[in-house]
Amino acid sequence: MRALYTAATGMAAQELNVQVISNNIANLRTTGYKKQRAQFQDLIYEHVKRVGAQASDQGTVLPVGIDIGGGVKTVGTPRLMTQGTLSPTGGDLDIAIRGEGYFKIQLPDGTYAYTRDGSFTTDGTGRVVNAQGNPVQPTITIPQNSSGLTINQQGQVSVTTPGSTTPTVVGQIGLTRFINKAGLQSIGDNLFTDTPASGPPQDGLANNDGFGDMQQGNLEQANVEVVSEISDLIAAQRAYEMNAKVVSAADQMMQSTTGMFR
Amino acid sequence: MENTLLVALSRQMVLERQMDVVANNVANANTNGFKADKSLFEEFLRSGAHEDNFVGNDRRVSFVNDRATIRDFASGPNLQTGNPLDVAVNGNGFLVVQTPAGERYTRDGALQINAQGQLVTNGGNLVLGTNGPITFQATDRDINVSADGTITVREGTVTQVDSIRGKLRLVTFNNPQQLVKEGANLFTAPAGVAAQPDTLSRVNQGFVEKSNVNVVTEMTRLMEITRTYQSVASLMQQQNDLRKSAIQMLADVPA
Repeated sequence: MRALYTAATGMAAQELNVQVISNNIANLRTTGYKKQRAQFQDLIYEHVKRVGAQASDQGTVLPVGIDIGGGVKTVGTPRLMTQGTLSPTGGDLDIAIRGEGYFKIQLPDGTYAYTRDGSFTTDGTGRVVNAQGNPVQPTITIPQNSSGLTINQQGQVSVTTPGSTTPTVVGQIGLTRFINKAGLQSIGDNLFTDTPASGPPQDGLANNDGFGDMQQGNLEQANVEVVSEISDLIAAQRAYEMNAKVVSAADQMMQSTTGMFR
Repeated sequence: MENTLLVALSRQMVLERQMDVVANNVANANTNGFKADKSLFEEFLRSGAHEDNFVGNDRRVSFVNDRATIRDFASGPNLQTGNPLDVAVNGNGFLVVQTPAGERYTRDGALQINAQGQLVTNGGNLVLGTNGPITFQATDRDINVSADGTITVREGTVTQVDSIRGKLRLVTFNNPQQLVKEGANLFTAPAGVAAQPDTLSRVNQGFVEKSNVNVVTEMTRLMEITRTYQSVASLMQQQNDLRKSAIQMLADVPA
């Protein structure tokens, strides 16, 4: 009874679907989170009778055949890299990107990771760092006792130092982009790393060459829409139940076969 | 006397196969662009006529045989995703996909861009335009797919211009029933079946076509299959009881 195994692939696929949806809902309020979506494909078919096969020696062919499918498989859980809404926070070092691009973060091991989460702070030495204390690239140091920290749309950071009336530019936050954003790999902490599928990172500057601009005092919210997640969840749950029904129906059929002869 | 058992057996065998078809439909209730299968049955007559043994109409014995699975090519519901790389085909058309084994056809319009900037399916196969694969540049943004499948992007920094990157190739078939399901949401055309350019179908950007499996129908069919299977099983059991008592009574040697 192949139906049992076919339905089992359906249950496994819907279980994964619910996992993906629940992760989206759990990250509803995560800054810079990009929602994932489970994508399915049908498994290979057994061609019991192949369409177009010779039906007679007169050259007639079968107009239709018998194809029995083996169920469903998950092909991937790509992220939807659409823009999230910006919400004003008023923080000096809260930056949202409006458009293309990722902030580049240097990890402790010297490699780079990329993020849309622009909630930055300064560390003990005045460097601009992310929530884990990893420096934003290129490294920018805010001088001690400075005030009036301003980040313009191009990402230029300027401060007013004591004894001066004109702001001085202390650095420019860069952006990085990828030809296939959906190919980035998440490593947690709102960070992504590049993969062969994403293509090599291309560094650039905000508001330039198709990069987005920076909005100081704003953070990018997750692009998760609760309504669509909940309706997806209902659909996934019901699909799971229906696959379970197929399992029990196949079981009943086998039971009636075993109970046939006393 | 064996006829009851054999006829019932033929019914059970096709019911099992029909069950497999229903299970596959239900398993793919959430697969993009999936087309539901349906089993077709036919009456299969025992050849009764012989030169020395002519069996008339009153002794006709018909078995059941599953002749084919046909596909329901009705459109599935379009789900709005807002993703610029999701396209749903409105009409009878198929998207053309380049696989290592040749051209394949799909209704699954959840597309991606690969590391080379080419438009691909979720399975990583190239999606073909009217002039071959569609390639994007690294600086392209605001991808727009018009209703006829033309893909335009915005490029340039100072003077922004719209550039055309290609046009999705849509094809149609005289008799789509001849297409063979290959798995991975792909259909192949057997030899002699030619794809024709489709000018009638329209493309909806930001939508994906969901599976056209009607779960209510599938659940009803499921109940029907289970109950029929059970009643055929009880028929066989009664036949067995009948034979058992016949053997017992006929072989009962009076003391």
